[in-house]
Amino acid sequence: MTTTDQGAAPSSRLEEFEREINELKVRAQATGPEGRLLILGAVLLVAGLVLIAVAWVRASGTNDFNDQISYLISGGLGGVGAAVVGCALYVRTAMSRYLRYWLIRMVYEQRAQTDRIVEALKK
Amino acid sequence: MPEPTPVLELSGVCAAYGRIEVLHGVDFVIPPASVFALLGPNGAGKSTTLKVVSGQMQPTAGQVRMMGRPVAGASTEALARTGVCTIPEGRGIFPSLTVRENLRMVTYAGVGLSAVEERAYTQFPRLKERRRQVAGTMSGGEQQMLAMARALTTNPALLLLDELSMGLAPLIVEQLFELVAQIAAGGISILIVEQFAATVLEVANLAGLMLHGRVQQVGTPAELHDVLSGAYLGGVDA
Repeated sequence: MTTTDQGAAPSSRLEEFEREINELKVRAQATGPEGRLLILGAVLLVAGLVLIAVAWVRASGTNDFNDQISYLISGGLGGVGAAVVGCALYVRTAMSRYLRYWLIRMVYEQRAQTDRIVEALKK
Repeated sequence: MPEPTPVLELSGVCAAYGRIEVLHGVDFVIPPASVFALLGPNGAGKSTTLKVVSGQMQPTAGQVRMMGRPVAGASTEALARTGVCTIPEGRGIFPSLTVRENLRMVTYAGVGLSAVEERAYTQFPRLKERRRQVAGTMSGGEQQMLAMARALTTNPALLLLDELSMGLAPLIVEQLFELVAQIAAGGISILIVEQFAATVLEVANLAGLMLHGRVQQVGTPAELHDVLSGAYLGGVDA
């Protein structure tokens, strides 16, 4: 059996490694980008809907055609854009979470099935 | 005589993909200049453990310590710079580049190509013969040698090997594990993740059996051999 000498005296490389590790900047653990994307998607969706509502109220409150057009462009189109982007972000993130869960569930089931077969073969 | 500071220590490490937790409290210690074999069936969490150690994934709980210092939260690049080197599953080489060009890719670390080549060809003479060959056309064993050569020229202190034997003939696997033993004898600590235990246990100082996201047992290869002979590998005689 080929084995190495466990617990050997630390080499100079090991000392160097220890020094570099001690100098390492360790940042606080950040929350995952997926959670932030989900929140951003929801916020954009709500903001878009609010923008559309505001634009509609403002446009219906005036008879000036030029004002109505500007409300339509700045509020309506902007709101629709924000809502579409937000909705896409939210659906994409939620779907990837669900599919990942589904995949892991499949792996888990497969493993459980293997365990059951092994148990059955042992009997 | 006091115990040497472990090069790597994991205590109660949990990690998750999204909300799905796959590591449920992993504990093990790697002393200096030793080979630790992390064994277990597919889906046990071995590769995820490697990702946590190399900084590719952040643990959701628990501590990862290197030389006694917590390093969870350090970036992959920063850890790689200190000497934590990963050889990923599937070799991690550039298949469309030649052997020489692959070696050139590690000169970013500030070592000249001639020095990189000298070290690589001394350790793996076969690569010298193949230096103008496109890496993807070499045999699996030669590709794995190239991956190891690339890793070793970065002067690692902790080498992480993921499924070294995957897809290779038993004879090649044996040769590669002999190299692993030689590397460890040179003072480098090695964490090696394997699904099939037979050969890796011959070169390991310590081994851990991982099942369902936990290290169930840690011991010497002899201690683990009997446990491995059980059913965890789905009937494969370890």
